[in-house]
Amino acid sequence: MDQLLQGVFDGIALGARYSLIVLGFVVIYRATGIINFAQGGFLLIGAFLTYNFSQTWGWNFYLSLFLSMIVTSIIAVLIQLLLLHRSLKEISAGVSCLLSWSIFFYNGNSHLVSLITGVFVGVLVYFVVQRFEMRFGAGQSNELPIFGSIIVTIGILFVIKQVVPSIWGFAEINMGDPWGFKIIKVGNLVLTHAKLWTIALTAVALLGFFLVNRYTKIGIAMRAAHFDHEAAFAQGISLKVVFATAFGIAGAVAALAGTVTGVGIAQLTPNMDLIVFLAFPAMILGGFDSPGGAVAGGIIVGIIQNLTKVYQPEWDLNWLGVGFDRVMVFIVMLIILMIRPYGLFGTKEVHRV
Amino acid sequence: MSNPSKDLKVRYQQDLMLWRTPLLRVGLISLLTIYILSPIIWETFPVTKFFDDVGLTLTTLNYAGVFAVGAIGLNLLTGYTGQVSLGHSVFVGAGAYFTAYAGSTWDLPFIVWLPGSLLVGFLIGFIVGPLALRLRGNYLVVVTLGLVFLGDHIFRNWKSVTGGSTGVSVTGASLKIGPIDFRNLEIFGREFEKSQSFFWLIWGFVAIVALLVKNIVRTRPGRALQAVRDRDIAAEIIGVDLLHYKTMAFAISSSIAALAGALFGVLQSFISPIDFGLLVAIQYIAIIILGGMGTIHGSIIGAFVLGSLPRFVENISRDYDLPGVSGDQGGIGGMISISSLNHIIYGILIAAFLLLEPRGIAGIWMRVKTYFKTWPFSY
Repeated sequence: MDQLLQGVFDGIALGARYSLIVLGFVVIYRATGIINFAQGGFLLIGAFLTYNFSQTWGWNFYLSLFLSMIVTSIIAVLIQLLLLHRSLKEISAGVSCLLSWSIFFYNGNSHLVSLITGVFVGVLVYFVVQRFEMRFGAGQSNELPIFGSIIVTIGILFVIKQVVPSIWGFAEINMGDPWGFKIIKVGNLVLTHAKLWTIALTAVALLGFFLVNRYTKIGIAMRAAHFDHEAAFAQGISLKVVFATAFGIAGAVAALAGTVTGVGIAQLTPNMDLIVFLAFPAMILGGFDSPGGAVAGGIIVGIIQNLTKVYQPEWDLNWLGVGFDRVMVFIVMLIILMIRPYGLFGTKEVHRV
Repeated sequence: MSNPSKDLKVRYQQDLMLWRTPLLRVGLISLLTIYILSPIIWETFPVTKFFDDVGLTLTTLNYAGVFAVGAIGLNLLTGYTGQVSLGHSVFVGAGAYFTAYAGSTWDLPFIVWLPGSLLVGFLIGFIVGPLALRLRGNYLVVVTLGLVFLGDHIFRNWKSVTGGSTGVSVTGASLKIGPIDFRNLEIFGREFEKSQSFFWLIWGFVAIVALLVKNIVRTRPGRALQAVRDRDIAAEIIGVDLLHYKTMAFAISSSIAALAGALFGVLQSFISPIDFGLLVAIQYIAIIILGGMGTIHGSIIGAFVLGSLPRFVENISRDYDLPGVSGDQGGIGGMISISSLNHIIYGILIAAFLLLEPRGIAGIWMRVKTYFKTWPFSY
């Protein structure tokens, strides 16, 4: 019994991380209709920013966490504006800005000089491309298929995944969290501080999100945009703002998820984004467009995964191999999808011929 | 510019012909000549010295050929049938591991294990295919993504067959058809190197697979598949059996992928689970996006570009001092390693092509062709 309870508790702590990651997916999916694979990249950026603020610069851990959430959400919004907005002049301006910045920086100029040059070149390219577009007609206006935008986000993930270790290195490092190995004993249960804090922070973040979604103006706008893009637009809701807000929220929760994933001894590595792929079953379970389902799905998947890990040796299932718990959730996902093709809480899509 | 009356088609069959213009026939003959001659003259010609310098060796071309085989199969599934598969690397891996096992343990001859690996791929696709009937769009993407993790787990843990995480050697698989042995080829007393004979083997398979898939898509089944892609409910209403066609698309595509895996195995002669991970699946998707969805020649061009890109970047950054790029180890003081640079270029290429030219290189080629065909009224 104790073993079961302990497994469930650890599972909930694991599931809390999944819930946060899936919440990021769901928010973006509800607003824009795409699955954002770059969520793993946001998670990496957030985790390493927290590390950088708290360890390298020596600031308070909670302050660093908060700052990293803000910075990551700004980065996410910028990526959304630059790439997923799909406008030739903005993309080319951004790319040329980055290129000229890096060329100047690595040829020995200072940060400030290269930054100013980069911005200058970017603005210049922006106006040149704008002139070209005006003369030769605007760029393509056909809709990017949903599958296409998924692949674009995979491309972004590739880039982020290489840039992050080039800044912070490949080594496994300590996040330097204040929780350490402290534990609380309840009966025979061992509750570590790190896991309790993970659950608590997740609960606060989720509560905050649901309050925003339910009661604020932007939350209502996001729900309207999820319901029907064009109708929302006709009611005076700016889709640009809604998309940007969705990416901002996703970036912030990804930073939180990354930080709580990276706590512990030598847990912070550039390969940490793999947890995002393990969160997919949770998203499927909850349904793509249900934030409540995201939380439930995340916790269910976390518990299933952890209980598999606990009971696999006991039930003589070792022949299934090391790491079977991670595959188990995918098997559960497959079974559930065969029974309910839109997840447990997702809305059924209506297809018109 | 061509004579417009020549383009007039009076019968439907003319529109379906494979080599319908003289220019295409000339192209076919020159492609055949290149196919036969290039391994022989590659080492001796001074022009190819330049190609070698930028990393375009025969071995690179062979890898590109393997990618082309797999990409044509994926294009049948994704480009023509519209079923997205992020799990193509599992099918590739199944073929490769079957080859390794059949070659070393059972010691089967070439003409037996090759159809065997095709059959293994076919069966796996046959099992996975019906999933696509129940799921579509994003859900299918995520489920096929799950396949990658499932496959990776099996590859790592079924140690008696796959050798676990360390991998398994494929040198036992024989490559003998009658008197011709592709491992040490000898024609008219002249011996050829492995890279030369493999060029003939692999690109021959590229041609066969391309012809096969082209024939599928330009006949009745192909039209049914494209109807499924465009609107599957409408296709069902006009009498396309969805279960049959979706399952068959998965099965054929994955058996072609298994062929690619078998060729990959014998080419690399050692395989491990890393060769069939998520990265490879995305690579295949990238190839067909870059080349052009729903085109055969696009997949070959895409495989050629993306297959030779890593070597190209490697050689360029070795010979010239690129800003911000360090040697083999990365992560030193804000420097990016060469392999990281490769991945970044990869990511940017995928994103840029999808955003700016969703129809890929084949789309660019199409536009250029139309421009010259309709000249001087091309607007």
